[in-house]
Amino acid sequence: MQLKKKNIAGLLSVATCSLLSGQAQSADDWNVDSAILFYSETDRVDAVEPVISGKKDLGDDEILSMKLVFDALTGSSANGAVPSTMVQTFTTPSGGGGGEEGEDEGEGEGGGSYQVAPNTTPLDPTFKDARAAFSMNWDKPVERDRRRNLGFNFSIEHDFTSLGVNGLWQYDSNQKNTSWTWGTNIELDSINPIGGAPEPLTTMAAMSKGSDTETRTVLDLLFGVTQVIDRSSLLQLNFSLSQADGYMTDPYKIVSVVDSVSGEPIRYLYENRPDNRYRQSVFAKYKKMFAGKDIFTASYRYMTDDWGVDSNTFDLTYRFRLGASYYLQPHLRYYQQSAADFYRYFLVDGEAVPGEVSADYRLGEMDATTTGIKFGREIDAQHSWSIRLERYLQTGESSPSEAFGQLTQQDLYPDLEATIVQFNYSFVF
Amino acid sequence: MKTAIRWLLIAGLLAASGCSSLGVKPWERDLLAREDMLMNSDALDLAYDEHIYFSKEASSGGQGFAGGGCGCN
Amino acid sequence: MKNYLFLLLLVAVPLKAEIYNIGDLDLKAQHGKVVYLDFWASWCKPCRESFPWMNGLVKKYPAKDFTVITVNLDADSEAMHKFLDQIPANFDVYHDPSGQLAEQFQLEGMPTSYLISPTGEVVKRHIGFYTRDIERYEHEIEELL
Repeated sequence: MQLKKKNIAGLLSVATCSLLSGQAQSADDWNVDSAILFYSETDRVDAVEPVISGKKDLGDDEILSMKLVFDALTGSSANGAVPSTMVQTFTTPSGGGGGEEGEDEGEGEGGGSYQVAPNTTPLDPTFKDARAAFSMNWDKPVERDRRRNLGFNFSIEHDFTSLGVNGLWQYDSNQKNTSWTWGTNIELDSINPIGGAPEPLTTMAAMSKGSDTETRTVLDLLFGVTQVIDRSSLLQLNFSLSQADGYMTDPYKIVSVVDSVSGEPIRYLYENRPDNRYRQSVFAKYKKMFAGKDIFTASYRYMTDDWGVDSNTFDLTYRFRLGASYYLQPHLRYYQQSAADFYRYFLVDGEAVPGEVSADYRLGEMDATTTGIKFGREIDAQHSWSIRLERYLQTGESSPSEAFGQLTQQDLYPDLEATIVQFNYSFVF
Repeated sequence: MKTAIRWLLIAGLLAASGCSSLGVKPWERDLLAREDMLMNSDALDLAYDEHIYFSKEASSGGQGFAGGGCGCN
Repeated sequence: MKNYLFLLLLVAVPLKAEIYNIGDLDLKAQHGKVVYLDFWASWCKPCRESFPWMNGLVKKYPAKDFTVITVNLDADSEAMHKFLDQIPANFDVYHDPSGQLAEQFQLEGMPTSYLISPTGEVVKRHIGFYTRDIERYEHEIEELL
């Protein structure tokens, strides 16, 4: 399972200036942000993700920052197949050469198969992954009106490795009321699916393996403007492009081929996605302080790509300051996406198999709402803690018009519901 | 849809350049200098969210980066 | 460790900041002395670094020839006091919450410092404070003395 990718924006958490009203700080101090996140989907994936991130001032606003992330996932994930009125059997990726048959229920990564009860969404129960990621950034002012940030990131999980470098340049004008930024991120990914990447569009039963290792390269370009509007508000607008080339398919996902009359699955084919993807997005973010203490933040992103996916993301938070140091912050996010051109709920036996097809729900038409609340305390500018609780609900078309036969009584895009609990603590080390 | 992006971008740039009259004096940045008024405040939250949504949705990135601040030095 | 440094700062630099209203500032009265005029605010990080150095200047150069005068631009005087409690100042602070003097001088950045000759001429202006330029700043002062 590929869980990766922090693009430039995610990596750069540089504060160009921060209010320090704590105790005198020596030059050897690191400002550390630590956090742990618990993620739990109803009946599906559970994840734990601790993070530690540190920033050190090297003098005259030159900042070095580092971040270490660990991620452990367990549970089960939808494999792309449709539900059936009968029991379904799927094979799990077999380890190494020789094939380890005979293991029922597909516990762990060894070969074997698993069964799915009638009228339930097929979930692969062998979904298990651990990831470690490290990133480092060096941010330095160059002249009074310019900044430069260079960084690299590395992440590894058992079937995926990623290495990236990034650069960001900032130029300030209008007495620093306007900042112009451009950045780039180059990433190289290596995908090593368990049991090798399956030959696309071949049946699951045939277990035709392609190569053991696949690669992918991603190039991101970002251009943005940040404008101070008045003493209490500012606006950021940015535009980004992303070109990915190489292996884009999910090696574990399949598409059901159903009988043209009954709609019952006959066989399963491994999915196949295009070998490149070009994305563009525009993003706007606005921040305003009210009554000298509360903060309103709103953002919008529109994304479109050559896979046919268009999406809109709206995000709102309002921080209520309670007393001198506590705050309460409700959060609302609404996301909507259109399906990829090659997304299918299922394929019909007898019809030609498209060159590119995927039944991965993440490429389907859907919308998602996140509601959350965060409560925290800023003890001083260097010490703070917070708790964040969020609920994510993703819904799609459960009964698409193309359903027929037994498919009309099945939920072809079940809701995905997840709960997120996060604890943050910032301190000086 | 691609043209829509182009127009949004042009509009944004025009707005930004026409906004050279907007802003504050260098000594009026007290509120903007606050940690929670930085564009990338709560950076860890943003990173967590980016990771979760990247794993569950078809979009990723294109989000903001650092901005604002005290404008010192 | 941090507490130790803080205490050291307290002991080494006796708290002697006098806070005045900006209306009370009379630069002409300083004629005959080299004046280092610094504009700062509590939310300005480089200002935090410039204070220990300015305290050092007061000690280094004789009071009859040299003086440090600072103008604080905090809109909130509480923030200014909080800053001075943590970072003691051995020089005078003139509180200018509405920024009238800053406007007069047409400040382009924070912090800004002016080096004024004994005859009242502005000889040098520095926008921003850089610890790596300390030697240069001191050299400029010494040239005037």
